[in-house]
Parts: sequence; C-alpha cells; structure tokens
Amino acid sequence: MPASEAIDIGGGAVTRPRYPLRRSLGSLAGSSEVGLKASHFRRPWLAVGLLAPQLLILLFFFFIPTYKALSLAFVQVDPFGGTMIFVGLDNFTTLFSSPEYRDSAILTLWFSFVQCFATLFIAGLLAFATDVVIRGRAIYKGVILLPYAIAPAISGVLWAFLFNPVVGPLAHMLQDLGYAWDPNRRPFDALLLVSVAAIWKHICYDYIFLVAAFLAVPASVIEAAAIDGARPVRRFLTVTLPMAAPTIFFLVVMNFVYGLFETFGIIDTITHGGPAGSTNTLVYKVYQDGFRQLDLGSSAAQSVVLMVIAVVFTILQFRSLERKVNYQV
Amino acid sequence: MASTYVKSVTGLLTAAAVFAGATGASAAERVKIEWWYAISGKLGDTVQQLISDFNKSQDKYEVVGTFKGNYEETMAAMVAAYRVNQQPAILQSAERGFMTMLNSGAIIPVDQLMEKQGYKTDWNDFIKPVAGFYIVNGKPAALPFNSSTPILWYNADAFKAAGFDAPSDTWQGLEKQLYALKEKKVIDCPMALAGDFQWSMIENYSAINNFPFATKANGYGGLDTEFVYNKTGVVGQVARMKKWVDDGVLKIAGQGVAPISLFTSGTCATIVNSTASHSGVEADAKFKWSAAVMPHEEGIDPKNGTIGGASLWAVKGKSEEVQAGVAAFFNFVAQPGVQEWWSKATGYVPVTNAAYQKMKAEGYFKQNPTREIAIEQLSRGEPTDNSRGFRFGNHNQSTAILIEEIQAVWTGKKTPQEALDSSVKRGNEILRQYEKLHAGK
Repeated sequence: MPASEAIDIGGGAVTRPRYPLRRSLGSLAGSSEVGLKASHFRRPWLAVGLLAPQLLILLFFFFIPTYKALSLAFVQVDPFGGTMIFVGLDNFTTLFSSPEYRDSAILTLWFSFVQCFATLFIAGLLAFATDVVIRGRAIYKGVILLPYAIAPAISGVLWAFLFNPVVGPLAHMLQDLGYAWDPNRRPFDALLLVSVAAIWKHICYDYIFLVAAFLAVPASVIEAAAIDGARPVRRFLTVTLPMAAPTIFFLVVMNFVYGLFETFGIIDTITHGGPAGSTNTLVYKVYQDGFRQLDLGSSAAQSVVLMVIAVVFTILQFRSLERKVNYQV
Repeated sequence: MASTYVKSVTGLLTAAAVFAGATGASAAERVKIEWWYAISGKLGDTVQQLISDFNKSQDKYEVVGTFKGNYEETMAAMVAAYRVNQQPAILQSAERGFMTMLNSGAIIPVDQLMEKQGYKTDWNDFIKPVAGFYIVNGKPAALPFNSSTPILWYNADAFKAAGFDAPSDTWQGLEKQLYALKEKKVIDCPMALAGDFQWSMIENYSAINNFPFATKANGYGGLDTEFVYNKTGVVGQVARMKKWVDDGVLKIAGQGVAPISLFTSGTCATIVNSTASHSGVEADAKFKWSAAVMPHEEGIDPKNGTIGGASLWAVKGKSEEVQAGVAAFFNFVAQPGVQEWWSKATGYVPVTNAAYQKMKAEGYFKQNPTREIAIEQLSRGEPTDNSRGFRFGNHNQSTAILIEEIQAVWTGKKTPQEALDSSVKRGNEILRQYEKLHAGK
C-alpha cells in the first residue's frame, strides 16, 4: 500500500471503507456529521502517536498536578508525608472562614482590577501616540517594549531598592517632598509600589496588541471619517476604538490573568506579601502557605480554588477569541 | 600532511581517553555525599572552605555542598525532594525546624549513626546551652553545627559622639540613649530592625527576662503546649518597638536591603543581630564598632538567651557507604581543631567545651572580647523553664504568623495587644494541628 494512502485527512467520510477497522472508523466519522472536521486516521496507533506528545505534556503538567492538588486538598499531612489524616472539607471551611483569606481575595480582586484598566489605559494612550510620532518611531517603540525584556525578579529588586524607605534614592525624593513614604509600614504605599511595578511591566504587552489592532483598522474608513470632518481624537474614539474592541476585550481577560497569576515574582521581591499581608494575593498566599510554611493541605485547597478561577478565565478567553473572529473586518 | 593530521587527532583522542580514565577512576573511588546548606555570603564561603578541607583530608568520600536558599527555603526544598526520594544525605536545618525534623521520620538520629559507623563521640562535651537544646532523652538527634545567639551591635564612634561609653544594659536605659542619638543629631537612624527580629526581640527577649512564651516549659513538656506570650512583658516590648518605629528611632530595612548592611555601612548606630555577623562586620564596618549582651528589663535578674543557628541532620534513605561518609564528615566537623577554626572564621560560638577552652587558653577572647559575648549571654544564670529554649512543632509556621501580626502593629491596623492575641490564637491552631498529626510521638 502506498504511503500516501496511510493517512486520509479530510476526505474520510467520502472514501469507501475497505477494511473492517476502517469501516468502523469511517462510520464513526460519518456519524459525527460529514464536513471539514470529520477527518480521521486509518490506523489508530498513528493518531495516538501524533497526539502522544501533547497528551504527555498535559498528563505531566496538568492531570498529575491536578490530581495531586485535589488529593491533598482533603487531608492534613505532615510535610514529609509520614502521617496523613483525611479531614474531608475541613481545609476549605477553614479557608473560607479565615479573615486572612477573605482579605487576600478582596485585595486580589482590587489589585487585578486596577492593574488591568490602568495598564490598558496607559498602553492605549501610548499606542494612539504611536500614530502621531513620526520621527524616531523605532526608538519610541523600543523604549516602550524594553520592560518586557526584563525578568520579573530583576525588575522587582530594582523597584524594591529604588523605593526602599531607608536607602532608596526615589524614596528619599518622595520623603523630601513631604510624603512619608514607607512601604514597610504603610499598606497603601506597598500596594501602590507593587501595582506600579506590575503595570510598568505589562504595558508593553498591551501596547503591542493595541498598535497592531489600530493598524488593522482600514485606512479608507478613517479617511472617510476625516472627510466628514472628524478630528484625530474623535476619529480615534468613534472609529478606531470600536473596531479594536475585540482586541481590547481579549486584553482585559489577559490582564486579569496576569494580575491574578503572574505577578508572583514582583510581589516576592518587592514586599514578600507584607506588610501584614497587605500585598498577599491569592497566588502568593498559596506559595507562602505551601512552600514557606509547609501547610500543604491548606495550600492545596487554595490552589483548587485558583484552578476554578483559571477555568472561568479560560472560558472567557475562548469566547473573546471567537468574538474577535466574528468582528474582524 | 594528512598522516600528521590523523596522528595528531589520534594523539588527542588517546590523551582525552587517558584523562577521562583518570578522572573517571578518582570519581568512581570517591563516594559522593550531598549536603544542602542554608547560609550565604561570607559564611557560605567558609562552608565551602570546610568542605574542601574535609575532601582533602581523606580520599574515600567527596562532600558536595549546595546552597539551597535561606533556612525556610532549604527546608521546603528538602520536603519536596524527600517526597520523590531525591533528598540529600545531610541537611542543615535551623533550630526553628528542630521538632519538625525530629518527628519527620526522615532522619537518622546522629548518635545512632555514629555508633553504627564505629565512631566514639563524647556527647557530654557540648557547652550547656547547646546540649540543653539539641539533646533529647540524653541523646542528640542532630549534630550541633552553627550555633549563635543575638547580641547588641553598636557603633562606638556614634555612642561616643553622643556622650556615652557603652549601651545601657536595660531597655529603659537604651531607649534614652537611642533617643539622645537622634535628638543630638549624631545619627538619623539609631537602630535597625533585624530581619529575624522575632528571634531576638521577641523570643530571646522573653527568655532573658524569664517570661513564659508557652505552657509546658515552652514545649519541652509535650506537644499539648499553648502559646501565652500575649499575657507577658512581650506586649510591652512590642508597644515599645512600635513607639520607636513611629519616632524614627527604629528603622525597618525592608526588601532589597540586608538590615545588617545598614549597620556596617554606618547608616544605623545599633542592631540586635546574630553573633555570626562577626565575619561580615569585621570585614565591612569602617568605624569603631563593638557589641554587648542584649539588654533586659529594669529590675529583673537576666537569664540566659536561647540558641539559634542550625544543626546537621543525617537523612534517611541513603546507602550504607553514603552513611559511612556522612559519619566521617560529622566526625571531622566535631573535631576541636575544626570547631575552633569554624568559630573564629564565622563568629558562631564554639559548640564544644574542648574548642571553647582551647580558644580561651590561647587568649583569643582577650584579643577579641566581642567573640565571647554570645557565650556569656547563653550561659548567664541558671536556665529556667522559660529560658531553656523553644520546642514547637511547625515553628516556622507560627513564626510567620507572629511576624505578619507584628507588621499589623507597624501599619497601625492593630494595637500590640490585639496583634499578639490574634497571633497566639492562630499559633495555637497550628500547635493543635501538629499535635493531631503527631499524637503519641
């Protein structure tokens, strides 16, 4: 049999089955609607083989950790695994009745919200300005993209040092201006510092997407608006922005995911979640409780909660991608 | 031309083979002993020196030391590794992790190991405060390695400029001096707060002033111990620290800056920090510095401080020859000569009487008086149930809570009493959880 016949993609439903095995596969494909999606492989091991790398990645990086987290969430365990007591939902009830966890959840929501929209707003301004800047546009873009190339831990250490209340030069500047800057004692200062660092780091990401989205707006539409007498700001607000809406919605989701899950490095280097838990987001708390304090049961329960949140965001993100397809001009 | 090329290539290959053979042979002869440790900077360099000295002293074993982050991070790495059977042969674990390690089921008690491997170690020779902490039922569970205690470091130049010869030995007296340093504009930062202040300013404070920290002799009497430090002088201590922080007398270094560097750079005039800061202070401080025992409350007869630092644990699940290597290394570390060298190079206290007497006899403490302060503080008075030390399961966890609650005092969210009440309540939950998991141990 020629090798080219081994795989039959696309036309599976049309090809007449020649062997019993193929027949069964063919009828399977046939039953699930004839169409573009009804491709199939004539030899099941080939399909399995091609899927294997992806499945293995999922197995090792998703299913096994998920199983571990789920199994740990319902027990209390000695860190070394010597003793284990099944406690049912105790870890969850303790968690939800703990004021520290509630504070952390409120903080995370607030932080993600502010971070998300502040990033989007600033990135939007910069992207809008990109159209206006004619000279040195490459340099302008380069400077804006720079923070993205710096590792979170490094940027965190820099921010922590610059704004250290005892030795930091920028902290001294603030103090000289009469502002009693001290992120070790003032939760607001700590939160502000972490937020600014997180926003600064993420602006570039939003910027790239927004510049691309603004460029994708057809020049003819904008010219038509210009002929109708709309000035640049008006054109931006009434033409460019609505047409870039799918991208903006996508970025809102991505920013939330970033704020929720990816600000760990910045928090770890700038505040360690302090003072008094005022920058201890849900993700950082999982790490604190699990890896610093070795309370694996509670940490696992917290990660299950986070997993649920992550699933919700994944669904939102898929929906945003669909919307993007529908709206594209 | 071609033949020379071939020749030189074969020559190179032969040389490479011989070389590989030689190194391969020596690597095969030596048994690798993995050791995870948790001290860095100059102290870390000294650890590497110790390892290389041991490796040179014999040709059977090769100790490979890896820095795994601070004590908590090293412990977390150990836990993760142990669960997948990738643990090191030796672990350096802090005094705070003592109970957790002791009951972990992951260790071989050091006396059993040494006896089985045929070493005779005199466990009675440890200096009293060290023995009092590490010896359980007459036997040590781990090898005391780097033992320290917090002492009061001060900038003698600054004190002189403010008209003081030395810091006062009471907190009340020291408070006046620190405020004077600030008011006379000698220095803007009279005191820096150490990163592990809960160890010095709270736990050691409690021991020295003979306040109970928890029931059942601070945990020595059983797992059903309960924290009580919210009903003792600790409340006043936290209130005093809060006042100092508010008045700019006590400064919190925060992230990105090591508190001790605020002292060695001359930014802050005093700090209560480990005696192990000696190696760093001696190298970096460019002013006249000195140290003193930690202050105590007025009108109180001060007791001994408690031991800090860490010990070396032999970890289970290793082959017989690796265990033999661990024992050989422990035996090397416990030699009086090595103890003496280690203590001199780092500032940790000599843990055996033999080493201590040796240093004393050669006049080392006369030349370096600050080196003896820790020993003096550790052996002051007759130890009581309040001052012997602390034995709490999951002590890392209750410590993290204590720090978090005290931070709430710095921010003004809670009063000292509220914060300590909450800390005791949450800490007791952790003790109960530990008791439940380890009932009958």
